[in-house]
Amino acid sequence: MQEEKNTKIIEIKAQHVSYSYKNDYEDAEDKSVPAVKDISLQIEAGSYVAILGPNGSGKSTFAKLIDILEQADSGELSVFGLNTKDEESFWDIRENCAYIFQNPDNQIVGTIVEEDVAFGPENIGVKLPELRERVDKALEYVGLKDMAKRQAAQLSGGQKQKLAIAGALAMRPKLLIMDESTAMLDPQSRDEFLSIVERMQKEQGLTLVTITHDMTEASSCEKIFVVEKGQITTEGKPEEIFLNPEKVRRAGLELPEHIALITELAKLQRVKLSKDDLVSKASCIAKAAEIACMDLQASAGELRTAEDKEIDSEDIILSVKDLSYSYEAGAPKILDGINLDVRRGEILAVAGRSGCGKTTLISHLNGLISPTEGKIEIYPEDGITLSSEVKKDKGLFRKYVGLVFQYPEYQLFEETVYKDIEYGLKKNNTPEDKRKELIIKAARSVGLDEEKLSSNPFELSGGQKRRAAIAGVIAMTPKILVLDEPASGLDPRGRREMFSLIKNLKEQGTTIILVSHNMDEVARYADRVCYMEGGKLIKTGAPQEVFAENNSIPKPLLYDCAVEVHKAIEERLHTSISFGPVGRNAEEEAKNILASVLRAKEAASNA
Amino acid sequence: MLKDISLGKYIDTGSALHRLDPRVKIVMYVVYLVVLFMVKSPQALVAAAAVIAVQAVMAKISPKVIWTSILPVLPLAFFIFILNIFAYKGGEVLLKWWKITVTQEGLILGAIMGLRLIFLIISTSILLTLTTTPLKISDALESLFKWLKVFKVPVHEMAMMMSIALRFIPTLLEETDKIMKAQISRGADYDTGSIFNRVKGYITVLIPLFVASFKHAEELAVAMDARCYRGGEGRTKLNPLKLKNSDWLAGVLLLLGAAVILLAEYLIH
Repeated sequence: MQEEKNTKIIEIKAQHVSYSYKNDYEDAEDKSVPAVKDISLQIEAGSYVAILGPNGSGKSTFAKLIDILEQADSGELSVFGLNTKDEESFWDIRENCAYIFQNPDNQIVGTIVEEDVAFGPENIGVKLPELRERVDKALEYVGLKDMAKRQAAQLSGGQKQKLAIAGALAMRPKLLIMDESTAMLDPQSRDEFLSIVERMQKEQGLTLVTITHDMTEASSCEKIFVVEKGQITTEGKPEEIFLNPEKVRRAGLELPEHIALITELAKLQRVKLSKDDLVSKASCIAKAAEIACMDLQASAGELRTAEDKEIDSEDIILSVKDLSYSYEAGAPKILDGINLDVRRGEILAVAGRSGCGKTTLISHLNGLISPTEGKIEIYPEDGITLSSEVKKDKGLFRKYVGLVFQYPEYQLFEETVYKDIEYGLKKNNTPEDKRKELIIKAARSVGLDEEKLSSNPFELSGGQKRRAAIAGVIAMTPKILVLDEPASGLDPRGRREMFSLIKNLKEQGTTIILVSHNMDEVARYADRVCYMEGGKLIKTGAPQEVFAENNSIPKPLLYDCAVEVHKAIEERLHTSISFGPVGRNAEEEAKNILASVLRAKEAASNA
Repeated sequence: MLKDISLGKYIDTGSALHRLDPRVKIVMYVVYLVVLFMVKSPQALVAAAAVIAVQAVMAKISPKVIWTSILPVLPLAFFIFILNIFAYKGGEVLLKWWKITVTQEGLILGAIMGLRLIFLIISTSILLTLTTTPLKISDALESLFKWLKVFKVPVHEMAMMMSIALRFIPTLLEETDKIMKAQISRGADYDTGSIFNRVKGYITVLIPLFVASFKHAEELAVAMDARCYRGGEGRTKLNPLKLKNSDWLAGVLLLLGAAVILLAEYLIH
């Protein structure tokens, strides 16, 4: 399948490129810190490369230098063989380089879909019959042809990003830079997005440069550059990078799920992996099956996975009964006959695609919207029952149920973090002498330093802002905390930290309801999952039950890999083996695989 | 909540009025603006209502949409109504209480003033915002005022600014809704309390909204740069404006409508 590349044209060549932001603000913290430090690299024409690294590491800044959205301070940077410093090449470079950003709303200029696609070509003066042809072809390519006359604002998030691709495509570029373009999409939309751009790379010889936190996406690239603190610390093929898990983790990244699984298997079986094993998902699965079928090296004790503490299923804290909701009478139902019990002290994940009604459901839980039909009851303490049908209970719903919306950092408004956290406490009439204690406790539980309390929330980094906003809800000591996609937009390390914060809250006795479209994280952190589709609850249960069944529910990537490894093992052993339960993480999944191979072998020798 | 407001929103019904050259619509809009301000009699108001109703039917805009677009200005219209009643002293006294006198003429004048404002909003919606995309409006303005370029007026830039402002109205409304919900779930209350407190409460919405707007502006500017935006020089258009015979005809018809209102004002007594 691999095509021989007979020409190796260098598309982007950087030599000792540095750049620092020129800040006019005197009190800005990062006044003199260079964002890009001495970067040298080469990217071949028609290749697909990923730039990885933590938030704030300078990857986006470097990408902007390529498109001359910023001008490098020092060093040589040439794109398409043209020097970015040459004024004459400026438009030649920019016209051939398309850029897709993270937030679809901030890159759509036109109100109407086709107007927006035309924006770029209009700017470079493409004349009429050709302009029309470019727009129509681009829209057809991304599958939005039927929506050409629609309003851009009415598209879904996934469609808006496809519109952004169409806008880029209509420019007929040679190079496409994607700056976390898939970060706000659900897994299905992300896959659709990626398949379009990968097709563009193959069919049109486009060079793709992607900046991403998604390691699975990065693993399908041809080359990876890891950027930390403005410098390239590692570069290589994905299989070379991911061969060294320690280094990957130190750089604030993580392994893609399929590589994580084989790495754990190799560890248990004392096998050393080579980079050839990690070349593709298929090679990983074949090798994983081979490793699993070897004589067991790990001791029986090592194969034991930690038992989950079963949450007392009788102790219900919140109950949703026959809940339906529509904006107005006769309008389609956003929620349709939802029945759901939330157990005291658990982490319950509400999973599903964007637009399936998750956010509408959780908005009911603290009385932001009232059910069209059905009701919600909460039992915060012994002997207390609050119902959404009783008007005076509504205020109390807010006392017991804390709600953290997606991107909560956008709700901050006070001069200091302290005052912002205090806002809710003031509103619920907490006595002044008690507030300070609660605020400090809340800041501590989200991992925010006490000294940050006196700083302006808008000076904090993105991750810290989010923590401050969450602290504002936690300070009100809700019994139930609802979090809508709390990790979206964070880098892998930020995600890990966010979830360990959530686990800590659970251990302190808070019941957690977690809204997510990332099935791997759901499987990893939730005690139970309820999966929604089109406003209906499809299934509720432990992740093991919900994902194990053969149904339309999207599976965690890790579990998908494990299933394929199982199949490969069955082929090797010429026998069917029993499936282990869905593991929470790669380590558990690896142990489960080895345990089921062991069982199969024992059964064979007994027979 | 806020999403239901259709002020400034474009709704595509594919009507003839939607396809009409935006320059004709803008010129006619100005004509109607002037004409509506000249209306002082009930019979002219009735004529205006009839003309606007015909336009609404032509634009295939439902009464419900019109209702949602006048909803936000209803308090203002009511305020104008009340103010005119109290301010007008002459004529037949209907009610006298304390220092307040309500006369029949005052009542009629108040109603005319209030309705006039509502008609203004409806005709803005039908002729412009509901039937014309922001980009078309800005294209039309740019084309209508391009002679100002001689005087170094940055016509293109102003038109672009306007179209972007309009394009972001739905986005910002959605964001306002989200921020309000987040603050309400932290205990904010925008519906009760004194007016002063309510206004103060909105600070919790306005500050995050401003911060978000700056972020939008910053990112959009970079995105426009990346898409090779360099001002109006050398820019082509996907849908260039071209006056057709049908546009002229529509312009004449709309002028006739305005004339009917004026006739009702000055000839019928």
